[in-house]
Amino acid sequence: MKAVISLFKRRKEIEREVEEELGFHVELLRREHLQQGMSPEAANAATHKRFGDLTQIKNQCVAITSRSHPLIRALKAFLVLMFLSGILVRLSAGEVNFRHLGNLLMAVSVLGHLLLYARGLTPARFLSKSDTVPLSIFDDGSGVPIAPFDESKRTPIERVISDD
Amino acid sequence: MAIARTDLLQGTLELLILKTLARESMHGYGIVQHIHETVEDLLKIEDGSLYPALYRMEERGWVSSEWGLSENNRRAKFYTLTKAGRKQLDAECANWDRVSKAITRILQTA
Repeated sequence: MKAVISLFKRRKEIEREVEEELGFHVELLRREHLQQGMSPEAANAATHKRFGDLTQIKNQCVAITSRSHPLIRALKAFLVLMFLSGILVRLSAGEVNFRHLGNLLMAVSVLGHLLLYARGLTPARFLSKSDTVPLSIFDDGSGVPIAPFDESKRTPIERVISDD
Repeated sequence: MAIARTDLLQGTLELLILKTLARESMHGYGIVQHIHETVEDLLKIEDGSLYPALYRMEERGWVSSEWGLSENNRRAKFYTLTKAGRKQLDAECANWDRVSKAITRILQTA
């Protein structure tokens, strides 16, 4: 239980750190625009345009950091073990009390997983369409989406060229 | 006339970040500034998109991060290339070189 509490505390900490890091960048961008002679309103608009959707980026960063936290992995492994133990106890138990214990173990495990998913730690979260990086060639205003590296998405020609 | 949108090769941004960090440790703003200054107007990066890429790279062990003080005496997170990141950079550079050579050859045959 202590691990779960510290896990959620840790999430708050992660959120605060991500906000601080992104805030630093946004502030410097805004200053840069002000130094170019823009009005505060125009500087805000230009900053927003160049940085992108702050909330979405923050959520992505928090999700990536949270999933990689060793406590999450340990907690998930523990919950799976608890579920399997619940099944074993349920199957081998002769007495009603032991069967209840098995049910309890399985229920707690399922509840734990649901809680983790409710905190946004679902696999789908990490496969969002926004996982791309807009770049433009020759700055004509159109964004060229560059996806992060993913071996499975390599084109056949890339495979042929890169595989010896 | 607007140029058609084109998908570039996978992992391009990661390669740019790895190469930028190979010089020295930098915070996110510094990385983007360096890329902007180097490529001028040839490539345009939406600044915020750098961060999910950096976080994923840290997760993979290619970069490590540490809080420090920026040139303006503000708390900032600095990223450093790890040994694994340097290996990844070498591999990605070699791959990029092969891909661009191959495409250049194809483009030159007409």
